[in-house]
Amino acid sequence: MSEFKKFDQKSWVKTNLNYRKDSGSWAWILHRITGIALIGYLFMHIFSLSPLSQGREAFNSFMEHYSTPFFMALEWFLFAFVLFHSLNGIRIVLVDWADGAKYHKSLYRYSIAIGVVMFFAMGYVMFSHEIHNLFK
Amino acid sequence: MYKHQNSRSSGSFSWVFQRITGLILVVVMIGHYILMHYTPESGHTYDAVLARMQSNWYRVLDLTFVVLAMYHGLNGIWGIFRDYKLKSWQSITIVGLLIIVGLAFSLWGIKTILDIPYVQTTSGL
Repeated sequence: MSEFKKFDQKSWVKTNLNYRKDSGSWAWILHRITGIALIGYLFMHIFSLSPLSQGREAFNSFMEHYSTPFFMALEWFLFAFVLFHSLNGIRIVLVDWADGAKYHKSLYRYSIAIGVVMFFAMGYVMFSHEIHNLFK
Repeated sequence: MYKHQNSRSSGSFSWVFQRITGLILVVVMIGHYILMHYTPESGHTYDAVLARMQSNWYRVLDLTFVVLAMYHGLNGIWGIFRDYKLKSWQSITIVGLLIIVGLAFSLWGIKTILDIPYVQTTSGL
Protein backbone atom coordinates (compact mmCIF):
# COMPACT_ATOMS: atom_id res chain seq x y z
CA MET A 1 0.00 0.00 0.00
CA SER A 2 1.47 3.34 -1.02
CA GLU A 3 1.80 6.26 1.37
CA PHE A 4 -1.31 8.41 1.65
CA LYS A 5 -0.95 12.13 1.08
CA LYS A 6 -1.57 14.23 4.16
CA PHE A 7 -5.20 15.36 4.25
CA ASP A 8 -5.51 19.01 3.26
CA GLN A 9 -8.98 20.34 3.96
CA LYS A 10 -8.74 23.42 1.75
CA SER A 11 -7.59 21.61 -1.36
CA TRP A 12 -10.11 18.80 -0.73
CA VAL A 13 -13.01 21.27 -0.79
CA LYS A 14 -11.52 23.03 -3.83
CA THR A 15 -11.02 19.80 -5.78
CA ASN A 16 -14.55 18.67 -5.04
CA LEU A 17 -16.11 21.98 -6.01
CA ASN A 18 -14.11 22.26 -9.24
CA TYR A 19 -14.76 18.67 -10.30
CA ARG A 20 -16.93 18.74 -13.41
CA LYS A 21 -20.22 17.21 -12.37
CA ASP A 22 -22.35 15.20 -14.76
CA SER A 23 -25.79 13.75 -13.99
CA GLY A 24 -24.20 10.80 -12.16
CA SER A 25 -22.25 13.06 -9.79
CA TRP A 26 -25.33 15.07 -8.97
CA ALA A 27 -27.31 11.88 -8.44
CA TRP A 28 -24.61 10.64 -6.03
CA ILE A 29 -24.52 13.95 -4.09
CA LEU A 30 -28.32 14.27 -3.89
CA HIS A 31 -28.74 10.60 -2.97
CA ARG A 32 -26.47 11.19 0.05
CA ILE A 33 -28.15 14.42 1.14
CA THR A 34 -31.66 12.97 0.80
CA GLY A 35 -30.57 9.75 2.51
CA ILE A 36 -29.14 11.57 5.54
CA ALA A 37 -32.28 13.72 5.72
CA LEU A 38 -34.55 10.67 5.54
CA ILE A 39 -32.85 8.75 8.36
CA GLY A 40 -33.05 11.97 10.39
CA TYR A 41 -36.74 12.14 9.58
CA LEU A 42 -37.23 8.48 10.59
CA PHE A 43 -35.91 9.30 14.08
CA MET A 44 -38.31 12.26 14.28
CA HIS A 45 -41.13 10.09 12.94
CA ILE A 46 -40.65 7.47 15.66
CA PHE A 47 -40.51 10.25 18.26
CA SER A 48 -43.58 12.06 16.94
CA LEU A 49 -45.71 8.88 16.81
CA SER A 50 -44.75 7.75 20.31
CA PRO A 51 -47.76 9.54 21.95
CA LEU A 52 -49.84 6.74 20.37
CA SER A 53 -49.15 4.75 23.55
CA GLN A 54 -50.69 7.53 25.68
CA GLY A 55 -54.13 7.16 24.15
CA ARG A 56 -56.54 9.10 22.00
CA GLU A 57 -56.50 12.59 23.61
CA ALA A 58 -52.72 12.83 23.89
CA PHE A 59 -52.14 11.64 20.34
CA ASN A 60 -54.81 13.80 18.69
CA SER A 61 -53.69 16.98 20.47
CA PHE A 62 -50.09 16.18 19.53
CA MET A 63 -51.05 15.60 15.89
CA GLU A 64 -52.90 18.94 15.68
CA HIS A 65 -49.52 20.68 15.47
CA TYR A 66 -48.65 18.62 12.40
CA SER A 67 -51.87 19.50 10.55
CA THR A 68 -50.96 23.20 10.27
CA PRO A 69 -50.15 24.58 6.78
CA PHE A 70 -46.48 24.95 7.74
CA PHE A 71 -46.08 21.28 8.60
CA MET A 72 -48.17 20.21 5.59
CA ALA A 73 -45.77 22.14 3.36
CA LEU A 74 -42.83 20.47 5.12
CA GLU A 75 -44.49 17.09 4.52
CA TRP A 76 -44.78 17.92 0.85
CA PHE A 77 -41.08 18.72 0.62
CA LEU A 78 -40.30 15.56 2.56
CA PHE A 79 -42.08 13.74 -0.25
CA ALA A 80 -39.66 15.35 -2.72
CA PHE A 81 -36.79 13.82 -0.73
CA VAL A 82 -38.52 10.42 -0.61
CA LEU A 83 -39.21 10.65 -4.36
CA PHE A 84 -35.65 11.46 -5.31
CA HIS A 85 -34.18 8.77 -3.08
CA SER A 86 -36.68 6.14 -4.34
CA LEU A 87 -36.39 6.93 -8.05
CA ASN A 88 -32.62 7.28 -7.94
CA GLY A 89 -32.46 4.08 -5.84
CA ILE A 90 -34.35 2.25 -8.59
CA ARG A 91 -31.91 3.76 -11.08
CA ILE A 92 -28.97 2.48 -9.01
CA VAL A 93 -30.44 -1.03 -8.90
CA LEU A 94 -30.96 -0.94 -12.69
CA VAL A 95 -27.38 0.21 -13.21
CA ASP A 96 -26.03 -2.51 -10.90
CA TRP A 97 -28.21 -5.41 -11.93
CA ALA A 98 -29.82 -4.71 -15.28
CA ASP A 99 -27.28 -3.26 -17.71
CA GLY A 100 -28.42 0.22 -16.77
CA ALA A 101 -24.88 1.57 -17.07
CA LYS A 102 -25.53 1.90 -20.81
CA TYR A 103 -28.49 4.22 -20.34
CA HIS A 104 -28.00 5.69 -16.85
CA LYS A 105 -28.14 9.27 -18.14
CA SER A 106 -31.52 8.90 -19.80
CA LEU A 107 -32.68 6.98 -16.71
CA TYR A 108 -31.69 10.04 -14.66
CA ARG A 109 -33.67 12.36 -16.93
CA TYR A 110 -36.71 10.07 -16.85
CA SER A 111 -36.63 9.80 -13.05
CA ILE A 112 -36.43 13.59 -12.70
CA ALA A 113 -39.40 13.98 -15.08
CA ILE A 114 -41.45 11.28 -13.30
CA GLY A 115 -40.45 12.78 -9.94
CA VAL A 116 -41.61 16.31 -10.85
CA VAL A 117 -44.97 14.98 -12.09
CA MET A 118 -45.45 12.84 -8.96
CA PHE A 119 -44.43 15.77 -6.71
CA PHE A 120 -47.24 17.96 -8.03
CA ALA A 121 -49.70 15.07 -8.13
CA MET A 122 -48.97 14.43 -4.43
CA GLY A 123 -49.29 18.15 -3.76
CA TYR A 124 -52.82 17.97 -5.17
CA VAL A 125 -53.66 14.86 -3.09
CA MET A 126 -52.25 16.37 0.13
CA PHE A 127 -53.93 19.76 -0.28
CA SER A 128 -57.08 18.55 -2.08
CA HIS A 129 -59.16 19.38 1.00
CA GLU A 130 -57.83 22.96 1.09
CA ILE A 131 -58.06 23.38 -2.70
CA HIS A 132 -61.66 22.19 -2.59
CA ASN A 133 -62.52 24.74 0.13
CA LEU A 134 -60.88 27.48 -1.93
CA PHE A 135 -63.25 27.04 -4.89
CA LYS A 136 -66.42 26.32 -2.94
CA MET B 1 -3.92 -4.03 -5.24
CA TYR B 2 -7.20 -3.79 -3.40
CA LYS B 3 -7.82 -5.16 0.03
CA HIS B 4 -10.54 -4.01 2.36
CA GLN B 5 -9.15 -2.36 5.45
CA ASN B 6 -9.87 -2.71 9.14
CA SER B 7 -12.62 -5.24 8.58
CA ARG B 8 -13.08 -8.96 8.38
CA SER B 9 -15.82 -8.67 5.76
CA SER B 10 -15.76 -7.03 2.35
CA GLY B 11 -19.30 -5.71 2.85
CA SER B 12 -20.67 -7.54 -0.19
CA PHE B 13 -23.60 -8.95 1.79
CA SER B 14 -24.66 -5.55 3.10
CA TRP B 15 -24.29 -4.17 -0.44
CA VAL B 16 -26.78 -6.72 -1.81
CA PHE B 17 -29.06 -6.40 1.22
CA GLN B 18 -29.07 -2.59 0.88
CA ARG B 19 -30.52 -2.98 -2.62
CA ILE B 20 -33.06 -5.62 -1.57
CA THR B 21 -34.28 -3.61 1.44
CA GLY B 22 -34.35 -0.49 -0.75
CA LEU B 23 -36.66 -2.15 -3.28
CA ILE B 24 -38.93 -3.48 -0.50
CA LEU B 25 -39.04 0.00 1.07
CA VAL B 26 -40.06 1.61 -2.24
CA VAL B 27 -43.01 -0.79 -2.55
CA VAL B 28 -44.13 -0.40 1.08
CA MET B 29 -43.63 3.38 0.88
CA ILE B 30 -46.14 3.62 -1.99
CA GLY B 31 -48.76 1.88 0.16
CA HIS B 32 -47.78 4.01 3.17
CA TYR B 33 -48.30 7.27 1.25
CA ILE B 34 -51.64 6.14 -0.19
CA LEU B 35 -52.88 5.11 3.28
CA MET B 36 -51.63 8.21 5.07
CA HIS B 37 -52.91 10.79 2.59
CA TYR B 38 -56.08 9.14 1.29
CA THR B 39 -58.07 11.56 3.47
CA PRO B 40 -56.82 14.24 5.91
CA GLU B 41 -58.00 11.94 8.74
CA SER B 42 -56.62 8.59 7.57
CA GLY B 43 -53.05 9.31 8.60
CA HIS B 44 -53.45 11.82 11.38
CA THR B 45 -56.09 10.63 13.86
CA TYR B 46 -55.95 8.11 16.67
CA ASP B 47 -59.12 6.33 15.57
CA ALA B 48 -57.81 5.70 12.06
CA VAL B 49 -54.61 4.21 13.48
CA LEU B 50 -56.56 2.19 16.06
CA ALA B 51 -58.84 0.77 13.37
CA ARG B 52 -55.89 -0.25 11.18
CA MET B 53 -53.99 -1.78 14.08
CA GLN B 54 -56.85 -4.19 14.82
CA SER B 55 -55.42 -6.21 11.98
CA ASN B 56 -52.26 -8.11 12.79
CA TRP B 57 -51.29 -7.89 9.13
CA TYR B 58 -50.93 -4.11 9.50
CA ARG B 59 -48.96 -4.58 12.72
CA VAL B 60 -46.54 -7.01 11.06
CA LEU B 61 -46.24 -4.68 8.04
CA ASP B 62 -45.45 -1.66 10.24
CA LEU B 63 -42.98 -3.62 12.39
CA THR B 64 -41.16 -4.83 9.25
CA PHE B 65 -41.27 -1.31 7.81
CA VAL B 66 -39.66 0.38 10.84
CA VAL B 67 -36.95 -2.27 11.23
CA LEU B 68 -36.06 -2.40 7.51
CA ALA B 69 -36.04 1.40 7.19
CA MET B 70 -33.81 1.71 10.26
CA TYR B 71 -31.41 -0.92 8.90
CA HIS B 72 -31.35 0.63 5.42
CA GLY B 73 -30.78 4.14 6.78
CA LEU B 74 -28.07 3.34 9.29
CA ASN B 75 -26.30 1.00 6.87
CA GLY B 76 -26.39 3.90 4.42
CA ILE B 77 -24.76 6.18 7.00
CA TRP B 78 -22.11 3.53 7.61
CA GLY B 79 -21.61 3.35 3.82
CA ILE B 80 -20.84 7.07 3.79
CA PHE B 81 -18.28 6.65 6.59
CA ARG B 82 -16.70 3.73 4.71
CA ASP B 83 -15.87 6.08 1.84
CA TYR B 84 -13.20 7.60 4.09
CA LYS B 85 -10.09 6.09 5.53
CA LEU B 86 -10.88 5.25 9.14
CA LYS B 87 -8.70 3.94 11.89
CA SER B 88 -9.80 0.67 13.45
CA TRP B 89 -11.03 2.27 16.69
CA GLN B 90 -12.96 4.88 14.73
CA SER B 91 -14.80 2.19 12.73
CA ILE B 92 -15.62 0.27 15.90
CA THR B 93 -16.90 3.41 17.66
CA ILE B 94 -19.04 4.50 14.72
CA VAL B 95 -20.53 1.03 14.14
CA GLY B 96 -21.15 0.67 17.88
CA LEU B 97 -22.96 4.01 18.05
CA LEU B 98 -25.03 3.23 14.94
CA ILE B 99 -26.07 -0.15 16.39
CA ILE B 100 -27.01 1.37 19.77
CA VAL B 101 -28.99 4.24 18.20
CA GLY B 102 -30.61 1.87 15.69
CA LEU B 103 -31.64 -0.63 18.36
CA ALA B 104 -32.95 2.10 20.68
CA PHE B 105 -35.13 3.78 18.04
CA SER B 106 -36.29 0.45 16.54
CA LEU B 107 -37.38 -0.76 19.97
CA TRP B 108 -39.13 2.58 20.62
CA GLY B 109 -41.03 2.20 17.34
CA ILE B 110 -41.85 -1.45 18.03
CA LYS B 111 -43.10 -0.53 21.52
CA THR B 112 -45.33 2.22 20.09
CA ILE B 113 -46.92 -0.23 17.63
CA LEU B 114 -47.39 -3.00 20.19
CA ASP B 115 -48.82 -0.60 22.83
CA ILE B 116 -51.89 0.12 20.68
CA PRO B 117 -54.73 -1.86 22.25
CA TYR B 118 -57.07 -4.37 20.63
CA VAL B 119 -60.58 -3.06 21.19
CA GLN B 120 -62.61 -5.84 19.60
CA THR B 121 -62.15 -9.50 18.79
CA THR B 122 -60.07 -9.85 15.70
CA SER B 123 -59.80 -12.46 13.04
CA GLY B 124 -56.87 -13.23 10.85
CA LEU B 125 -53.23 -14.26 11.35
